[in-house]
Amino acid sequence: MVHNRLIKNYLVIGGIVILLMMVFGILMLLAQGGGLSLSPPTFYQFMTIHGTGMIGAAALAASAVMWYFLSQHVTLSKRIFKANLILFLIGLVLVIIGVFSFDYASAWTFLYPLPTLSAKAWGIIGALLYLFGMLIIGIGFLLLFIDTGRAIIRKKGSLAKGLGWDVIAGKKAEKDAPEPAIIAGTMVTIVNVTALIAGATVIMMNIIHTINPAFTFDPLLAKNLTYAFGHVFANSIIYMSVIVVYELLAKYTNRSWKANKVFLIAWSMSTIFTLMIYTHHMLMDSVMPKWMLIIGQVFSYANGLPVLIVTAYGTLMIVYKSGIKWDMSSGLAFLSMFGWTVGVVPAIIDATIVVNHVMHNTKWVPGHFHMYMGLGAVVMIFAFMYYLAKVDGGLKITKLDWIAFFSYIVTMAAVSVQFLVSGALSTPRRWATHTPEWMGPALFGGIAGVFLVIATTLFIVHFVRYVCNET
Amino acid sequence: MVQTVAWITSLVFMLLITFIFLCVAMKSTEKRDYEPIKKKWYKARTFYGVTLVVFMLIITIYTLRELPYDQPVYGKGEDPTIVDVEALQFGWELSQSEFKVGEAIEFHVTSQDVNHGFGLYDEEMNIIAQTQAMPEYTNVVYLTFTEPGTYEVLCLEYCGLAHHAMTYQITVTN
Repeated sequence: MVHNRLIKNYLVIGGIVILLMMVFGILMLLAQGGGLSLSPPTFYQFMTIHGTGMIGAAALAASAVMWYFLSQHVTLSKRIFKANLILFLIGLVLVIIGVFSFDYASAWTFLYPLPTLSAKAWGIIGALLYLFGMLIIGIGFLLLFIDTGRAIIRKKGSLAKGLGWDVIAGKKAEKDAPEPAIIAGTMVTIVNVTALIAGATVIMMNIIHTINPAFTFDPLLAKNLTYAFGHVFANSIIYMSVIVVYELLAKYTNRSWKANKVFLIAWSMSTIFTLMIYTHHMLMDSVMPKWMLIIGQVFSYANGLPVLIVTAYGTLMIVYKSGIKWDMSSGLAFLSMFGWTVGVVPAIIDATIVVNHVMHNTKWVPGHFHMYMGLGAVVMIFAFMYYLAKVDGGLKITKLDWIAFFSYIVTMAAVSVQFLVSGALSTPRRWATHTPEWMGPALFGGIAGVFLVIATTLFIVHFVRYVCNET
Repeated sequence: MVQTVAWITSLVFMLLITFIFLCVAMKSTEKRDYEPIKKKWYKARTFYGVTLVVFMLIITIYTLRELPYDQPVYGKGEDPTIVDVEALQFGWELSQSEFKVGEAIEFHVTSQDVNHGFGLYDEEMNIIAQTQAMPEYTNVVYLTFTEPGTYEVLCLEYCGLAHHAMTYQITVTN
């Protein structure tokens, strides 16, 4: 089937890019730990490509997970799905050329006016290649989510019904609630269309500013738009991927995991809170309206509730005394929910304004999101890869896969925790060099990362074997 | 110290979550009917959910009582020292760099070019306060040093290839 081939392409490209980005991450940690010599320009180029590539590749693979399950309930456009992949690859090439051929290194957050004002470290061409690359990738995703929205509205009548608001209001029985894939698809459509419009706006303004520096715009508005895009888009990766957890654990435990009112309310809360909480990235901008910053804290706390009370709790309930047969896909699905839940803790702590005052932009922040993404979202993608290889390709798992599974847990946890320890020691993030007292955790993380890459390689090799067998 | 409290609190909750997931994983291969499990644990969820919400509300109220954005109430005749801070690629300009212990200070922080982060570190290299240095805007840090020593300003927002070289020293005496 054409769409299955496309899904495989999405996952192979996403998986390989994630693996390569891990390598850049390790090189940076080893350099910070004093185990490797990297010049600062090279370090910041690696940092830019690592952030951009990881978010882009994880979003690409996660969108394939969502597309696979959502297309079982609604009619999605294969052309748009294909177009998104092509636009992603075009954008990726532009980003790579911008970073490695034209020395562009603004970090993936590209805070205005850094793309233009680089202290002559990179030129206009590098900035334009990167920004146009990002814009093209964003347009591809925007088309994809407009299509998912269109398909859901056609099937359900409205996005509100996609979130099951008619069931919450009591107009429909719980048994007629939308399937989890539709609910998650609706949530992701709403947040990502909003995020991508915000992102495209700020990227276009940056492009115009780069071409004509006489055109300027408000740096605070730019910062708001950048985080409204970056936070929401990165956050959506886990909401796209979690569909595989609902589907797999229900199958493996032979227990139903259907939406009820609490489930629907939780997803509606996630939709609203995910859009609102980006201001927790701006808690150290006291010129922001104070109420927006307080919202950043309050709703960051509240955003933890749907996962802590509904999805994680539901995972524990469905697995508890279920007689589940563990294999790589069910194991990874369960692990991913652990990673998501445990990653919520340092996130909530850092969203507390008085804590953020001394921990913002320390390595605590990557500590939280490496846990949340590395043990959560990305593991969901790996769970899906193993699931496809099993149900579609009949590929058997080996002892090596299990070794990779346990190695991945230990090493990803080690990488995440060393970031948290560094953050508690006030180590700044995004620093090419470290003082001797900051080096220990970074070096430890770099060494753990080497084994993490080996484990991830084994996951990817398993999936590539399935793809090759099929073709 | 806030950092230590944050680390220990996180560690406790992360270990608790790990313990719960491990317990469930270990009980997962037993097979029982799902309906009684659902009935029992849905009931428990109500209690757990309410407890969690109340706990979060208490923490929210407690931590929002005093915010770093609020100007302290100064005593009569106690005027704060206003320090103008300007960031630029790749250095800091401060209108004053020597202070006394107990002196109320307001750092008015802005940037001449891109976004920077004004991070104040004590002698043990722990952050004691920070704010963003933004072009066209001025963020304020309210601070009273309680210990003499040499403090460092580090850039905490990525600002270009010499971001890590953007440091500045402040002296505080008795």
